[in-house]
Amino acid sequence: MSANKTIGAVAVIGGGIAGVQSALDLGDMGFKVYLIEKAPAIGGIMAMLDKTFPTNDCSMCILSPKLVDCSRHQNIEILTLAEMKGVEGEAGNFTVKVHQKARFIDIDICTSCGDCEAVCPIKLPSEFEQGLVMRKAAYKYYAQAIPNAYLIDKEGVPGYRGCIDCDACTKACKAGAIDHSQKARDIELNVGAVILALGTHPFDPSIKKEFGYGRFKNVITSLEFERILSASGPFEGEILRPGDMEHPKKIAWVQCVGSRDRNIDQEFCSSMCCMYTAKEAVIAKEHESDIEPTVFFIDVRSFGKDFDRYIERAKTEHGIRYVRSRISEIYEKDCGDLQLRYEDMEGDLHEETYDMVVLSIGLCMTKDRSKILSDLGLEVNDFGFAYSHQKDPVALVRPGIFMAGSFMEPQAIPESVMQASAASAQVASLLKDSKGSLVEPRPEYPERDVSSEEARIGVFLCHCGINIGSKVDIPSVVEYTKGLDNVVYATENLYTCSEDTQKKLVDIIQEEKLNRVIVAACTPRTHEPHFKKSLAEAGLNPHLLEMTNIREHCSWVHSDGALATEKAKELVSMTVAKSRLLEPIPALKIDVDQTAMVIGGGVAGMTAALSLADQGFKTLLVEREARLGGALNSIHYTVEGIEVQELLKDLSSRAEEHENIDLHIRSNVSNITGYVGNYTVNIMKDGKESEHTIGAIIVASGIKEHIPTSHGYGKDERIVTQLRIEDELSETSSLTEGETFVFIQCVESREGLRNYCSRTCCMGALKNALKIKELNPRAEVYIIYRDLMTYGFWERYYKQAREKGVVFMQYDIDRKPDVEIGEKLTVKVWEPMLQEEIEISADHLVLSTGMDPADGNPELAKQLKVPLNQDGYFLEAHVKLKPVDFSTRGVFLAGSCHAPKFIGESIYQAQAAAARAATILSSPTLEAEPNIAVVDVDMCSGCRTCISLCPYNAIESVTEVIEGVEVTHADINEGLCQGCGTCVAACPSGAIHQRGFRDDQILAMIKALGACSLGGGS
Amino acid sequence: MPDFEPSVVAFLCNWCSYAGADLAGTSRLKYPPNVRSIRVMCSGRVDPVFVLDALKEGIDGILVAGCHPGDCHYQSGNYKTNRKIKLIKKLLDELGIESDRVRFEYISASEGQKFADTVTEFVFRLKELGPNPLKEECQ
Amino acid sequence: MSEEKLKFAFYWAASCGGCEIAVLDIDEVILDVAAAADILLWPVAMDFKYKDVEAMDDGHIDVCFFNGAIRNSEQEELAHLLRKKSKVMVAFGSCAVTGGIPGLANLSDKKGIFETVYHDNASIENPEGIVPEPSSQVKEGELTIPEFYDTVRTLDQTIEVDYYLPGCPPPTSLILTAVTAIIKGELPPKGSIIAPNKSVCDECRFEKSDKRITEIKRVYEVEKLEDKCLLEQGIICLGPATRGGCDAQCLKANMPCTGCGGPTPNSLDQGGKMISALASILGLDDEEKYNDEQVDALIDKVVDPVGTFYKYGLPSALIKRKVMKE
Repeated sequence: MSANKTIGAVAVIGGGIAGVQSALDLGDMGFKVYLIEKAPAIGGIMAMLDKTFPTNDCSMCILSPKLVDCSRHQNIEILTLAEMKGVEGEAGNFTVKVHQKARFIDIDICTSCGDCEAVCPIKLPSEFEQGLVMRKAAYKYYAQAIPNAYLIDKEGVPGYRGCIDCDACTKACKAGAIDHSQKARDIELNVGAVILALGTHPFDPSIKKEFGYGRFKNVITSLEFERILSASGPFEGEILRPGDMEHPKKIAWVQCVGSRDRNIDQEFCSSMCCMYTAKEAVIAKEHESDIEPTVFFIDVRSFGKDFDRYIERAKTEHGIRYVRSRISEIYEKDCGDLQLRYEDMEGDLHEETYDMVVLSIGLCMTKDRSKILSDLGLEVNDFGFAYSHQKDPVALVRPGIFMAGSFMEPQAIPESVMQASAASAQVASLLKDSKGSLVEPRPEYPERDVSSEEARIGVFLCHCGINIGSKVDIPSVVEYTKGLDNVVYATENLYTCSEDTQKKLVDIIQEEKLNRVIVAACTPRTHEPHFKKSLAEAGLNPHLLEMTNIREHCSWVHSDGALATEKAKELVSMTVAKSRLLEPIPALKIDVDQTAMVIGGGVAGMTAALSLADQGFKTLLVEREARLGGALNSIHYTVEGIEVQELLKDLSSRAEEHENIDLHIRSNVSNITGYVGNYTVNIMKDGKESEHTIGAIIVASGIKEHIPTSHGYGKDERIVTQLRIEDELSETSSLTEGETFVFIQCVESREGLRNYCSRTCCMGALKNALKIKELNPRAEVYIIYRDLMTYGFWERYYKQAREKGVVFMQYDIDRKPDVEIGEKLTVKVWEPMLQEEIEISADHLVLSTGMDPADGNPELAKQLKVPLNQDGYFLEAHVKLKPVDFSTRGVFLAGSCHAPKFIGESIYQAQAAAARAATILSSPTLEAEPNIAVVDVDMCSGCRTCISLCPYNAIESVTEVIEGVEVTHADINEGLCQGCGTCVAACPSGAIHQRGFRDDQILAMIKALGACSLGGGS
Repeated sequence: MPDFEPSVVAFLCNWCSYAGADLAGTSRLKYPPNVRSIRVMCSGRVDPVFVLDALKEGIDGILVAGCHPGDCHYQSGNYKTNRKIKLIKKLLDELGIESDRVRFEYISASEGQKFADTVTEFVFRLKELGPNPLKEECQ
Repeated sequence: MSEEKLKFAFYWAASCGGCEIAVLDIDEVILDVAAAADILLWPVAMDFKYKDVEAMDDGHIDVCFFNGAIRNSEQEELAHLLRKKSKVMVAFGSCAVTGGIPGLANLSDKKGIFETVYHDNASIENPEGIVPEPSSQVKEGELTIPEFYDTVRTLDQTIEVDYYLPGCPPPTSLILTAVTAIIKGELPPKGSIIAPNKSVCDECRFEKSDKRITEIKRVYEVEKLEDKCLLEQGIICLGPATRGGCDAQCLKANMPCTGCGGPTPNSLDQGGKMISALASILGLDDEEKYNDEQVDALIDKVVDPVGTFYKYGLPSALIKRKVMKE
């Protein structure tokens, strides 16, 4: 870096889940973020999904809050319809060129009412709906789109023209948001770092002619099926086949379309298709129980956390049929049904008829993405994706440029999220001297004390152009409102959200001495922060605002104007009732000790500690053993090019020497108290205890190899585990010709109590098999497996091993291989093609047993009050979107204590945990949620009903002496409470209140509605 | 009673069900105007006392909606409310008040249609049931 | 204290008589009461006539301790009469304060109760189907008895009440507090409930830990009671939702609280709050693994919600009675 001053801004290219996560992390840390998205709205592919595996969460429900956070974040600027055109400069100081297309609608003015869409005469296939339905040229990308604004498509799509400049929309738009003269613009952004999160492209299956996609209407892609399943999709969640809009009964899923396919140069595995297929089949059955799903697959790659149990439930509980085979061809019958031809494992040919076929399409690199890589001068790997080293997976060869998400490698959401956070950590280290330099301090306004004033309520009723006003008789609602107690001012606006009305609002609050404000307009979910800002500007506590939704919940959904008007009056009356009881809510700040502790000194722990230290945070690193490295100490070599011992030496010497790392080896954490930002921990070493205060904790307690009891293990020294054979091979210089090695996979794994895949053992076997072939190509290697888990780019080593003559034999769980110990080891395997058992005479038998969680996990979980899953691994806050967070704020996890994983994965997960911790540690104070629960100590009897209900461990029972009396009561931690109010509802004595949602406030609304419904109110 | 128009209060969680109702609006779906919503952050905030109080105040139907199982923004509030509503319905049965006046539904942010359908069906059912028998006392 | 003695009255309406015994349970303090006050009216112990009360000047009685709920016209009449004649009216005991056990009659009505009592009970032989009538003609003339109401009411739903002494019966210590305050003239503001703000748990001897229960048990179903919070052992204990002041006496005898203290100050509906608490902690562990049928089965273990959660308080609950269908 030439200049010593870096630029405290970051360009995040791509607004899918990875880009959004990076933007939020960096924004929270205090960097200015430009989030650049090519589509008209952020959200990427995740926004198109119906549900997510393995929890079947509604995708939009979990994604949407993040998108909204992005749009509200004061440090994040979203640029849509924008493409990166080049990056100049060097790490710390880049110029990013961006071309932004014209939207023809002003985002700041557009109220998202849809009037333009209603009058637009032009129809084109909807990209978001995968072309299953049409959209207009004036359209919104999807219902929950962020930015929540329309656009006009003047370009059209192949075969369809765009806007014809009829100008109908301009006339229809009362807000005046439409500007047909808008021009595209070229922008130059000065940033310190760039994150590429460009995502990936769903494979176009029309190339695979044998499947008939594009020719047969009832052959669809898995992404199309996601939209069909979606309640907000083209068929409103009804499962119909596009050919004739009939309900399909027999549905086939064809796996590996565009993946693991040499013929079309797509030789990698797309990693997530096996799981999304199971999910789609399960959800389809949940929609309509008479659907019969069949999945045609090669391997079921259920390598992730809790995936195997999901697949098992799909098979046993939902009756999804799995057929191991490759589909050779699909024919269409006259009625639109589809005939599938395949060969089974026994070599028999079958033909079956289905009503619909879903092609489980993989992901692929596209030309435009390749061009970006070459324009930036970045190396690509053998699959055309950006090259990176497993030692630092998210870093690209050009310093200062990082990547994340499926742009890096086809993968599922949690990996994308982790890489996104990992990239944020890397950026934060690089730009640590300029953090906070480009962030505007939030303006602070003096606040008027209204505590002694009687309620003076001002009500602002919005016409929203004609969106509310054409149904709801706003003037009559205004008149009605004026008659309500405590309402001293009521008015109507054409657009309450417009900038000039906002200014007026501030003036009126001051002139009329209002101390409560009601805006009756659209949904508070998007607009509340906007109005709260105006209150603050006018010197009122922002929580003295209350909104009521007379658009989405009233004028847009009711056809009878008189009834809609009546409803609007009642809604206002209820809101006034609540408003009278509103109180200012103080902006709580929690002090943060800006230091961290990492528990566990393996690759994840060391990486996390180093990342935090590099970002400038003092970090305690606690390791139980005398030596750093954990599981790395038993690994000698890898196939992916990591020199493990070199890496270990590098990490441990850096950790030992880093000025920000306080290393404690041969030490245990003996006690942890406190909460986010304010932990006190005791570390025990050689019988001596030391006390430390820290602000955040990362758990990286690692993993261990499972020791088997079956397959003759322990009875013969030629029968060994993966780690042992690696030890042996690393010390061997040559092997004899014909020396035979047999690897049995999934030993005591993926069944019974250990019903999970350990993710790394298939590659472990391949790695050792390749090593054997390297030592002597004429040594013989057999790998006996259930499903070969060479997901993603690991697939290349499967191919290599096959090319080198490694023999692969598949077995099913009900026909496990047998072992006989004699002069040689005899391994008996069932061969389905031959329909007989064959015997392999082996010199070495290697058992791939998978991993077990570390012994200390239960104790650690108890100390930290964080959960373990049923297999004994730590359970993250959310499997998709919070993969390194615990639900307890301030505690994070990294590495294989989360689930078994590879070194590279542990590294980026550790960096991710460091980034998440840094979002808390970056500021000396932390803002608490406003709507937290508060205990009335005088009323609390300490019954402890609330404590076990809190999902965030925010409540504890405390005993203190108040006025000479010992009192035991519940205490809610302001920093941990997230404001759900579950404890408030459950408190049997009414001793807990929720700020902003107090019992008396809600009951007042009920009372007001009751009065209205009896004809008393209006 | 052909003219009877039931009054309905809907407690909607901020993250899923309120958003689902918003989507019904954005999608311009039509449903009866009898429902008025009260937004809470989580369905877990809904106290059975609110249900009793609404009935006491003469409101004819109470809809409580939260995220689907597994989707709760706060992880688990919806499970608790499911149980609370089941128990309060049992109480209402014993008190001779039709427990169908109280309804708990899982409505996600993408289920605008489900929100509209739920309200439509609920209002239809309430019309069958007739006015809240406690209404007379209020008047 | 002034030279003149205070004038006390005790009256019972729909009640069991336990409250009267509770008055005697203050032991030797009754002598202090006798020294400080004259008892003008005490039907359980002394003879009296309505006309004696009617003859008093308004406000003649200093304090009236009124126990029992109001379920017939005589009780209502006397409540009004005593209100007029008393300076201070104390609702004494659960029946007067929240309706008490007699309040559970609100699960039925006059017709239903008469049918059960005068027809359906196994021990009844009443071929003519005679039921009490307010007025009946006999050859000597007209006989009248008080009218029996459909709905049981609390005292303050009938007349204005100044103080409340909850409990079934009110705990001796609270009676003492009240009586001492009256004698000393140190009464709290009108409308006060003379009991602590906190719930029974505050006084309960059992150790409490986090509450998460997997099933509901009746007391007799528990083989060996552990020395910990009964609710945590699956026994429905209304302690957390019930105003204390009783020193958790029932819990001392290993029996759960059934709620006689009434709701806590911030609680609008004692039963509703307990339902909320119980349903929240019931089946909390692995709650995501329950299917809907399993949740139903769990909830179905709660039998008779009204009797369980409103044993002493149905007339004062948000929903005060059962809706009777024609």
